[in-house]
Amino acid sequence: MTEFAPEILLRLGPLPVTNTLVNTIFVDGVIFAGVWYLQKHIQTIPGVFQNIVEIVTETFYDLTESVAGKNTAKIFPYFMSFFLFILIANWSGLIPGFSSVGFFVGSGSERHLVPFLRSATSDLNLTLGLSLISLVATHALSINTIGLKEYLSRYFSLNPINLFVGLLEIISEITKVISLSFRLFGNILAGEVVLATIASLFAFLFPIPFMLLEVIVGLVQSLIFAMLTMVFMSILMTPHHGGHEAEEVIAK
Amino acid sequence: MEIIKNFGLNPVLLAAQVINFLIVFYVLKRFLYKPILSMLKARDKTIKDGLRQAEEARLLLEKTAQRERETLKKAQNEARALLDETRKQRDELIVLAEQEAKKQAERILSDARSQISQETREAEKRLSAHISDLAIQLLNQSVGDLVGKEQQEVVMQQALKKIKRKAD
Repeated sequence: MTEFAPEILLRLGPLPVTNTLVNTIFVDGVIFAGVWYLQKHIQTIPGVFQNIVEIVTETFYDLTESVAGKNTAKIFPYFMSFFLFILIANWSGLIPGFSSVGFFVGSGSERHLVPFLRSATSDLNLTLGLSLISLVATHALSINTIGLKEYLSRYFSLNPINLFVGLLEIISEITKVISLSFRLFGNILAGEVVLATIASLFAFLFPIPFMLLEVIVGLVQSLIFAMLTMVFMSILMTPHHGGHEAEEVIAK
Repeated sequence: MEIIKNFGLNPVLLAAQVINFLIVFYVLKRFLYKPILSMLKARDKTIKDGLRQAEEARLLLEKTAQRERETLKKAQNEARALLDETRKQRDELIVLAEQEAKKQAERILSDARSQISQETREAEKRLSAHISDLAIQLLNQSVGDLVGKEQQEVVMQQALKKIKRKAD
């Protein structure tokens, strides 16, 4: 049965090398390989790979532009990076052999399989880390764009009602981190549990529909995380008094 | 704390994941988005320039075609006007030539008539003179035997006067 916590394969000083961390390194490798390949083969008339990357980049840039307007150039790298990283991490967990190739530990009824690789996004350390980056980047961009005074006016005011609203805003910022991290973690972990359960019931053909479902879940979850980050950034980069305009833009 | 332990939260692992993502973010931003977006912008600019140039060329073509039509129309009008003017001049010239020819014919006719009448008069004069000479000769021959020399002279003189008068 899949545990909440990732399994530790070895320790490098204070750093526990978990199977999810190994998967993270694998995801890094895939991304770096893609970037390296593109760097080497980039040309005016694009090849198949470059064409796909260009289509995806342009689509996501246009999507960001439709929401963020003039702040697109600042928000787009975060949006795209979160999406790519989480998508590859989610889908990598569906590769045959992931979560099923490993070594056994314990004995008797305690004996269980420790896989060498496990989907990185099924580790709360990663999802929480990504959420914290999203939060810090959102607030840093907000201060950078609208200024410290305008930024603080969102949370602190001499008006008691606005002060209360500001307090709710601070709480909402904390809940954003929790919701972002646990949504991604929960969905991917649940998917892994479902796949493991189905595979244990009947190993052939039967898990395929569930795997296809997990492909969609992986795509949707990565898109949700990236989109929410983009929307939060867009809202916080709009001056406090122009909040309604930002909401209208988002609604569009 | 129990929940944190259950979820496997580890500050060092969390920091490692954060640092890892920041590296990935930097690499993607520096080596993927930057060149791809620059290329897309450059391509977009090229396409826009091409479309603008095509539109300019189309407008120029339209303008040239319009100018060609106008020039052709103007040339046709000028040619037609020139043709009309030429026809008019031709008609005038024909009329003038006819008039001139008529005048010339009349003049020739008049000259011929006057010449004929003059020649007729001269012929008549010559004929008259000849007749006078013949008459005198005839008179000399017929009168010489009948009258004397003096009377002959008088008759001759009278006859000459009569002949001259008649001739005049």
